[in-house]
Amino acid sequence: MSSHREAPEIAKDPVADGTDTYAFVSPDKPDTVTLIANFIPLQQPDGGPNFYEFGDDVAYDIKISNSGTGGADIVYRFQFTTKIRNSKTFLYNTGPINNISDETWNRPQYYSVSRTEAGRTKLLAHGLPCPPVNVGKRSTPNYARLAAQAVHSIGNRSVFAGQRADAFHVDLGSIFDLGALRPFNEAHLIKMPEMNGVNSVQSYNVHTIAMQVPITDLSLKGDRPKDPGKASAVIGVWATASRRASRIYDKRKGRYVSHGPWEQVSRLGMPLFNEVLVPMAEKDKWNRLEPKDDRAFAKYVNKPELQGLLPALYPGVFPKLAAYKKSRADLNAILLTGIPSGVVPGFQNYTGSVESDMLRLNLAIPPAKEPNDGGLVAGDAAGFPNGRRIADDVVTIELRAIAGATIPLVDPSYTPDAAAGAITDGTTNTNAPLLRSFPYLGLPGGGYQTVPGTTKAS
Amino acid sequence: MSETNRRKFLAVAGAGAAAGVVGISASPAFAGTGASKLAAKETVVAYVEDHHGSVVTLLVGEREIVVDDRDLVARILNAAGGE
Repeated sequence: MSSHREAPEIAKDPVADGTDTYAFVSPDKPDTVTLIANFIPLQQPDGGPNFYEFGDDVAYDIKISNSGTGGADIVYRFQFTTKIRNSKTFLYNTGPINNISDETWNRPQYYSVSRTEAGRTKLLAHGLPCPPVNVGKRSTPNYARLAAQAVHSIGNRSVFAGQRADAFHVDLGSIFDLGALRPFNEAHLIKMPEMNGVNSVQSYNVHTIAMQVPITDLSLKGDRPKDPGKASAVIGVWATASRRASRIYDKRKGRYVSHGPWEQVSRLGMPLFNEVLVPMAEKDKWNRLEPKDDRAFAKYVNKPELQGLLPALYPGVFPKLAAYKKSRADLNAILLTGIPSGVVPGFQNYTGSVESDMLRLNLAIPPAKEPNDGGLVAGDAAGFPNGRRIADDVVTIELRAIAGATIPLVDPSYTPDAAAGAITDGTTNTNAPLLRSFPYLGLPGGGYQTVPGTTKAS
Repeated sequence: MSETNRRKFLAVAGAGAAAGVVGISASPAFAGTGASKLAAKETVVAYVEDHHGSVVTLLVGEREIVVDDRDLVARILNAAGGE
């Protein structure tokens, strides 16, 4: 979660595996939008000597739909090139790395950024250096400095690509152990003592691609929308990773070589969509499609498997949910079309009738002065599912939505089970502190500093 | 279609649409002539998914050229079989 190792094929290809996508009006620069796509899940900070890095053979895209089609109207593409400075050493670094240009970093990585709109591609920048990973106190003694040096300005846009701390929090170990939520262990079909949730991604890093671009870069009319009620104020956002059609191991070169067109192998819009809603047999297919093709998956939204599992796993806790047989129009709106006007007073992020999984962001809604990580359902219209901010507690929000908490938005005759408003995996944001400015995600844990967790077989 | 024209047709069609199927009428096997001016000048991967069929997919650069040519498929299959 939210999309870490969510499908069988991409779980075997972590370099291309998208883990989280974020899109929000920048709190400190409200005339801009911050777009973040994380890849390469669950990185142990001490994972040397060949530390994590972007794939030179992967195209990483952040895509925008601003015309209601569920297709990409704007594509930002990031492509990477890795060099070896000293071919005589096995070391990632041959001394402390104090600046991202230091020769002591033996495996620097660079990238290009392009922007495609209406069939025209413009190279925005190339040769931009990434930071090294956070190796440890001796190798990367001032990591904040290195990370800051890797924030680049491209005209009125800012970009960053490199390692960061994962900001997602979720209890993977419990949820995937027969749908257990530790705070409700005693209500589970297989009872255990109740306890707090365990944040499974705490202390793990990811590789982040982040952009901060003017709102005018993204909106349909190239303007800064002021009226939240207008359709042109809403954009859809998702991220993808693509590989070339053919990948062959060239034994003479001792590496893989790729040929042919770019083929999408990973996709991520709304958190947990492919992870929790799409059946395992269709997850790989989902990953290669565009949002505009998601009508085929609407049945899994309108009648989610998890909705049926909750009453079975927690007997007697969700009787009203168990009795609810109507199509989940609330989830369809939240996840596939956006919420139309009239459902939540003063709010909409409807992109039309095309059922498509995208993060939908209303560009006319300013950042909240006091953000609530419960997002829209907690009264904060600047939060999820209006786009997604880094701190938004999407696991709790989506769990409660699937448990029926959002049904009354579209079906006032329904009264949710009491548990629907209380259900949670019990985790809190125990990840690295977020930054107050771009790229916002916390600094990655260092290999030397980070201590592995405990292991128990029984 | 002459051998020369056939080669040009393949190359031009490949330079256009990314994945359009190029249909080729039956014709004699290649006569071992040299490459045309439009021939690919980089590594090419040929993929015959169905050995009963007539389609070979060529991957070159960032392009995919789908060629419908039973004769070409037969030559590839023969080569793959060691002939």
